[in-house]
Amino acid sequence: MSLLTPELLRRLEQFQLLAQRRAKSSARGERRSRARGQSVEFADHRNYAPGDDFRYLDWNLFGRLDKLFLKLYEEERELPVTIFLDASESMSFGEPRKFNFARQIAAAIGYVALCGFDRVSIIAFPEVGSEAALRGALRQVRGRKSSMEFFRNLSQMTAQGTANFNDALRRGALMARQTGVAIVLSDFLDPAGYEPGLSALVGRGFQVSAVQILAPEEVNPSTFGDLKLVDAETGGIQEVTFGKFRLSGYQQTVRNFCQRLREYCNARGINFFMTTSDASLEKLLLKQLRESEVWG
Amino acid sequence: MNFLSPVAFAFLAALPVVIVFYLLKRKRVVKVVSSTLLWQKFLAETQANAPFQKLRHNWLLLLQLLLLLLAVLALARPYFSSKMVGGRLIVAILDASASMQSIDESPTRFEKSRREALKLIDSLHDNDQMVILQAGANTEVKQSPTSEKAALRRAVQSAVVTDAASHLAEALKLAETLIQNNTRAEVHLFSDGATGNLAEFESKNLPLTYHHVGTRAVNIGVVHLDVRQNPENPTQRAIFATVSNFSTNQQQARLDLLLDGAVIDVKQLTLAPRESSPQVFLATQEKDGVFTMNLTAQDDLSVDNRASIVSLLPQPIRVLLVTHGNRFLEKALKAAPGVVLSIAPQLTETSQDFELVVLDNVPPITWPTVNVLAINIANTNWFQSISKIDAPPIVDWKSSHPLLRFVSFDTVQISEALAVQTPVWGIPLLESPNTPLMLSGEVDKRRVVWIGFDVLQSTWPLRISFPIFIANAVDYLNPANSHTQQLLVQSGQPFRFALKQPLQNVDVTLPDGTKIQRPVDAARQEFVFGDTAKQGVYQVQAGTNQVAFCVNLLNSAESDITPRPELQLGKYARANATTYRQASLEIWRWIALTALLVCLFEWWFYHRRTA
Repeated sequence: MSLLTPELLRRLEQFQLLAQRRAKSSARGERRSRARGQSVEFADHRNYAPGDDFRYLDWNLFGRLDKLFLKLYEEERELPVTIFLDASESMSFGEPRKFNFARQIAAAIGYVALCGFDRVSIIAFPEVGSEAALRGALRQVRGRKSSMEFFRNLSQMTAQGTANFNDALRRGALMARQTGVAIVLSDFLDPAGYEPGLSALVGRGFQVSAVQILAPEEVNPSTFGDLKLVDAETGGIQEVTFGKFRLSGYQQTVRNFCQRLREYCNARGINFFMTTSDASLEKLLLKQLRESEVWG
Repeated sequence: MNFLSPVAFAFLAALPVVIVFYLLKRKRVVKVVSSTLLWQKFLAETQANAPFQKLRHNWLLLLQLLLLLLAVLALARPYFSSKMVGGRLIVAILDASASMQSIDESPTRFEKSRREALKLIDSLHDNDQMVILQAGANTEVKQSPTSEKAALRRAVQSAVVTDAASHLAEALKLAETLIQNNTRAEVHLFSDGATGNLAEFESKNLPLTYHHVGTRAVNIGVVHLDVRQNPENPTQRAIFATVSNFSTNQQQARLDLLLDGAVIDVKQLTLAPRESSPQVFLATQEKDGVFTMNLTAQDDLSVDNRASIVSLLPQPIRVLLVTHGNRFLEKALKAAPGVVLSIAPQLTETSQDFELVVLDNVPPITWPTVNVLAINIANTNWFQSISKIDAPPIVDWKSSHPLLRFVSFDTVQISEALAVQTPVWGIPLLESPNTPLMLSGEVDKRRVVWIGFDVLQSTWPLRISFPIFIANAVDYLNPANSHTQQLLVQSGQPFRFALKQPLQNVDVTLPDGTKIQRPVDAARQEFVFGDTAKQGVYQVQAGTNQVAFCVNLLNSAESDITPRPELQLGKYARANATTYRQASLEIWRWIALTALLVCLFEWWFYHRRTA
């Protein structure tokens, strides 16, 4: 399965993930960081100390001042990009499926990051034993040439099981050695809420973007009558009598839910995007994410 | 508690239907969704929480069942028979007179009245009481005061229109008696107003509502019928009939005369608007028989288009004149047709052989048992006080009475007369301001004509009116004639017939051929038959005696079917025909029925909009 079209890939190559903070990673990359090291970007001078590499002496200054100064350059480090991908049973719903849409976004972000020599990790939750190897291969991916492998692994993932959204995000935040960009792809329909998880990411220092993906059926239900609704994840049963006359009430409920999530995110500096699985991927990637300066 | 219409309990069959609806409702479509989170939030926003939800559904079912039960109970119309205070008393008078048979209303005036009366019953409140009176020749209480509408409806349905003239005054008087001391009473009269004079009924405060029927007056009818000997040819019979046109248009009609069912004469009539035309037929008659007038015309009321009369062949009358000498009277009696006159100075035992005794100034020792013409006889059995009065002026006489037909007292003077109080048995025919001068009446089953002055002490014998009166008196007092008159009965009036021998039963054949048997009160030696509501020829078989008598409407007030939107009651009061009164028609049945339908519809609609 091809997640992204070649045309889209070609256009994505032009982008680079925008980091609002200096990279803190210890690994070398192409991102500016506070660390001093070797690059072409001049940062500062310092007094020569015996043992310093003569190659970095500023001979022009020595000629003028007759003192030895060492030129310092900004060390370029990598930017860790962590994608939290909701792979729970609820994501397998929708036409087209929410999970497919989420994977496409993950692939696009991952591709942009790989092209920028950033380290990409996809943390899919919940953990599924049978896919442990597959999911392990999606951690710490680096380099453009890894992209094909990255796409293949991503497309082989399935959505199943019951997710604990907050737990997954909290653990992801704790396990990360370096913070960086975090992208959360989920429907945010967790009975326990989403607040602790997102707070943990922000608190750990991640630059978080949240993309909420809902199925068209969830936003605009087309099944009416006396319904016995079964929750695919929890197995919980909800009896509801639903008619066209209550459609607007339901839609208002959905809007309220999304609005609360958006307000929560805005209050914590999280980029929030809400989309349905039948929406245009290009529009989201090339327009909305760009305008929100997730990449540029 | 009882139920007026327990049939409505059949609707209880709808109870299982409602339950089945709820059983159906429990069957939900199972659908797996990604998450019920949004639905929970949605329900939390719009509904109460879950456990109450389930309970509430059950309550809904119970409430609907309760609603249904109540509706069915209402339809069954339960009632308690208990006394309540404060209801209205409504007296409904149904005019069942002949004119109500007019077909200008569809199908008849009477049926329309009946419909309106039924509507009035529908509008009754629970604690209202109603009385149904049927006003024909006699007023009949069809239903005594009750609140039970079924009984009232039955009473109205059982009312039948008669061929008789109505006596609304009698009904109104009864109604007035019924509503005495009841401040919340109403009298509803369903009538066309075609009735005799209501002047005798004087009540200004009667709460009368007049439901008027009748739209037009297209009627032509026989209003008078009489048969006599032809004065010019004693071998012939003269039949006098009066045909009146009560329409406002000219009417054509054919008048047939039948003798015992065979047509013997026909006349074509053209009557101007509201014209009365006297018609005389001459016929020879071999034996006693029944003459029938049959009027063929295009009109709304057929009951007055036919009238019959029994005609008996004239018999000579034996008259005993007891006098000390009165040539005028003697000559006048001799001149009267069919009179065999005997004269005696005193009344003797032989007076039993005569049919008529004329007492002229000679008081008898024993009173004769036959009809009497008494002139200047002061009989203390007849009057309470007798005195004399000088030169009483004549102020009035009853020219409509058969005795005074063609008799005028214009130039008659009287020198002295007996002054008496009008007794209960007689009606005054000739009056002066202080005393009646002539009375006629019936005393001990015999006819009596009393003249309160000596005719020789007046100018009367010199006038032409005297012999005419004597001829009239002989005619009137002739027992054969009075018998003939008994055989002509106005519908609704009783037929009386003196029995010669005691009998147990009398057989009567009605005009439609039905034979009925009536017991006779042996002590009275008289047969009285009151079921004369239908006109026609009745045959009476009393022992070996067979008598026919005729029942006719012959009432111009009744034949005049002109719609009268106003009734004159007495001198001052009047009742206007109502446009319909403010009525509270009972519609709760429909509302209850609607509730039932809404109850069923509710479920259907509920599902339709959720489907």
